[in-house]
Amino acid sequence: MRRVARGSEAARSSDRGDVSERPDEGVVAIEHVSKLFPSTEGESTWALLDVSLSIRDGEFMCAIGPSGCGKTTLLNLIAGFIEPTHGELRFDKKAISGPAPERGVVFQEYALFPWLTAQRNVEFGLKMRGMAKAERRERAHEALILVGLADAARRYPFELSGGMRQRVAVARALVNHPRILLMDEPFAAVDALTRASLQTELLRIWEEIGITIFFITHNIEEAVYLGDRIVVMSPNPGQIQETVEVGIARPRNRSELEFGRLYAKVNGIFHRQGVSAS
Amino acid sequence: MTDMKTDFRSARAGEREVLTPDLVHKIEERFRHDLQRSRHRRRAQRLMLNIAGVILFLIVWEIAPRVVPGVNLQMFPPPSGVVGTLWDLIVSGELAGHAWSSLKRAIAGFVLGSTAGIVVGLLTGRLMILRDLSDPVLHSLRSIPSIAFVPLAIVWFGLGETPKIALITWGTFFPVWVNTFIGVRDVPNIYVRSAASLGASPAGVMLQVVLPAALPFIIAGLRQATAVAFVILVAAELVGASSGLGYLISFSHLVFRVDMMFVGLMALGALGFLADTLFAASLDRIFPWYGAEAR
Repeated sequence: MRRVARGSEAARSSDRGDVSERPDEGVVAIEHVSKLFPSTEGESTWALLDVSLSIRDGEFMCAIGPSGCGKTTLLNLIAGFIEPTHGELRFDKKAISGPAPERGVVFQEYALFPWLTAQRNVEFGLKMRGMAKAERRERAHEALILVGLADAARRYPFELSGGMRQRVAVARALVNHPRILLMDEPFAAVDALTRASLQTELLRIWEEIGITIFFITHNIEEAVYLGDRIVVMSPNPGQIQETVEVGIARPRNRSELEFGRLYAKVNGIFHRQGVSAS
Repeated sequence: MTDMKTDFRSARAGEREVLTPDLVHKIEERFRHDLQRSRHRRRAQRLMLNIAGVILFLIVWEIAPRVVPGVNLQMFPPPSGVVGTLWDLIVSGELAGHAWSSLKRAIAGFVLGSTAGIVVGLLTGRLMILRDLSDPVLHSLRSIPSIAFVPLAIVWFGLGETPKIALITWGTFFPVWVNTFIGVRDVPNIYVRSAASLGASPAGVMLQVVLPAALPFIIAGLRQATAVAFVILVAAELVGASSGLGYLISFSHLVFRVDMMFVGLMALGALGFLADTLFAASLDRIFPWYGAEAR
């Protein structure tokens, strides 16, 4: 589906070739970024302090950390919702200056528009960018098929379960053919069984369309199951503690020894005990 | 509700041994049928109680002036004393004429005032500069009762249609503006961010996201405005008009026809009730998602 839908954007794929030739700069380059926020009583706190990170093209990167570690701030910066107090963020070698459809976002809370059906929610971005009705209907339909919800196209968000809503939210972002999908604890509000199936679905989609994903979670098991790399962050001020390579082949099995080893490693960093299994 | 449940249970209990697909189907059919019937029954019951309530009210009204000592039946006519006048006014077409000219004014003012209220609400709710600029002025004007402007409107616009429509426009603007403003100000940031990241322009965000997201508030404002429109309408018609329900009431006062006054009051009540019912009924049709989360 990806190849067909992407055909009209051939120019972009040559860009991708460019990027992979320069392994030093990934699709997202974050250089010495800091963000100061006003806190209560007129004080200010560093949500992020001197954070540098490079997200490789096509990789599945997870960010994990306790609340207040600045992981959502980092996502909002990449999305272009906020600007850094200091430092630079580049997407595809160009400075990020605001939100754009090339960087799709899936939020933790249900961000679907309640006044639109699933189909129209997915069509929204295409409509906003002036695509003709027949074409956007077709593309939205494809995106809903991709997330396995073609049958729910005419339902309103209130008629969908939590897991279904997040699938629609993924379709709504993907229909714009973004280069990167930014996901802020997207499965935190659904039950454990649904979450497991959503994780599997997300990996399938990621493999099928070859997109880059930046995925925030507070669940170590989720990070180890999904990520190529895991960025472990710490709070006060928000900083990157360590970046862990998850070298486990997919499909991953949560009961494998290697899985447990990595879980323990991330858990160790998470709790700042300095545990290193390697 | 209760007997429907027991029906369902007994059907299951009686044939518990083998639950064949055929039987499952039959049970489902029965269940659906019962559900439908109980819904119909509930609807019929509601309508009957509504009607019974009206009849009860009329009975009390009929009896009260007769049993309460010192009440003059000319001053407080019971329904039996009003129904003849009502009939006469209906047959002569006079009542419909007055109601129609009132309705025209109310609708014209309501449309103008609420349109302005929505536009100004959207702008002041979204643009901080406009909000800060207009806040003191608009809130001061809002706190002046609209009826206080009736004499001014007559001085400015005379006795024709203009002063009535202008007054209703003025009066309906404020509740719609305030509600729209609050709705727009409190639109969840996540909707705005979603739209921006999906490629919406500022104007697109305003019309396709902020406006629909604020609709529940806007609708509350519009509903409030329908009530306000009637209040101002009557106030304006009482003073300087040659038609309308307010005029009918004030004319009845001059010729001392309390029964006719009652007809005017009843017509106002019926019109207001009708307007609100239509409003509520159209909501579900136009906005199927509205209030659905709470349902």
